[in-house]
Amino acid sequence: MIGISQIGTYIPEKKVSNLDLLEKFDVSEAFIREKIGVLHRARKEPEQKASDLCVYAFDDLKIKTNLNVEEIECCVVVTQNPDFNIPHTSAIVHGKLDLPEDCASFDISLGCSGYVYALSIVMAFMQANGMKKGLLFTADPYSDIVDEDDKNTALIFGDAGTVSLLDSSATLTPLAFDFGSKGKGYKGLINQENLYMNGRAVFGFTATAVPTSIRKLLSKLNIAKENIDRWYLHQGSKYIIDTIIQRLELDESKVVFDMYEYGNTVSSSIPLLLSKDIDSLQVGEKIALSGFGVGLSWSSAVLQKTN
Amino acid sequence: MAAVSVEEVLEAIKKAKVITNADKLDPSVLLSEQDVDSLDISGMLLSVEEAFGVEIPDEDIDGIQTINDIVAYVNVKN
Repeated sequence: MIGISQIGTYIPEKKVSNLDLLEKFDVSEAFIREKIGVLHRARKEPEQKASDLCVYAFDDLKIKTNLNVEEIECCVVVTQNPDFNIPHTSAIVHGKLDLPEDCASFDISLGCSGYVYALSIVMAFMQANGMKKGLLFTADPYSDIVDEDDKNTALIFGDAGTVSLLDSSATLTPLAFDFGSKGKGYKGLINQENLYMNGRAVFGFTATAVPTSIRKLLSKLNIAKENIDRWYLHQGSKYIIDTIIQRLELDESKVVFDMYEYGNTVSSSIPLLLSKDIDSLQVGEKIALSGFGVGLSWSSAVLQKTN
Repeated sequence: MAAVSVEEVLEAIKKAKVITNADKLDPSVLLSEQDVDSLDISGMLLSVEEAFGVEIPDEDIDGIQTINDIVAYVNVKN
């Protein structure tokens, strides 16, 4: 069965401080720390593109594994801020990494729900085609589309890239997924000339859809929430994570929170969290993932570490 | 439906654990003057929508600045 073997990450060293913007946006430090949950936002260089973030993440993956690029059979990039509208960014990454010509490459256009969706898509694609090793990238550099004067978005998003090595011999494998969309709410988070977010609409959607999705998923698996050892929720903001914890009555100590120093990195947020824990997961442990946002869409999954 | 009271609205907000100081809110004072920020207001309004089965569209938000405003709004909608 295909699973996640290892995760490489890249967070730009350059950071923009939200604490320097208190006066500009008339917000308190407590609001930044306790509600937004982002003290600094990771910022790529203006000339860097999504494919560059992918390549840097791959460099980290190479350090963590003895990967032979000749063995890679598929290369998938989750992004809604591609290098170009044409071609797909995965083709550019394929070229930069000098991957084999018989390596399939395609993009997936999803935002914050993208990583969990993509795990299911790529694992099924690999399984159906007898593939053993694939690369799943996430890179959505929002710094290219955020209006720095827009209080609703300027304090939240950071840039990052990740790559998950999906492998037929990996031992972190999915038990079940849940997906959904509320397409009528698509205007709640939309990029026309700049990114626009209706914070109340996105909050209301998340606070209702995500707990429902997770309850449905646990019911499908016939397991209690107490049987989940760690929760990896999309790091939208501290307020939304706290709201989900409260609504699902989760044990807060099992919910990973880590966005203070880089921000909401869209589809990269879950793999960034998971990359820190993947080597320490114990056999038998179950973890839950849930991504939610742009669309408005969501995807949740339970994975288990096996022998 | 019977008119909704201030106490019932405050109870819905407390039950949803949206804010920690719900007990101390003065119904007639602006929420923004009682340490309730914009995110808290989103959470409070969601808890009211769920508790009383009303929908509060964005265009009506500007007119809702106190607990008394919320109570009046719910009673008009119901």
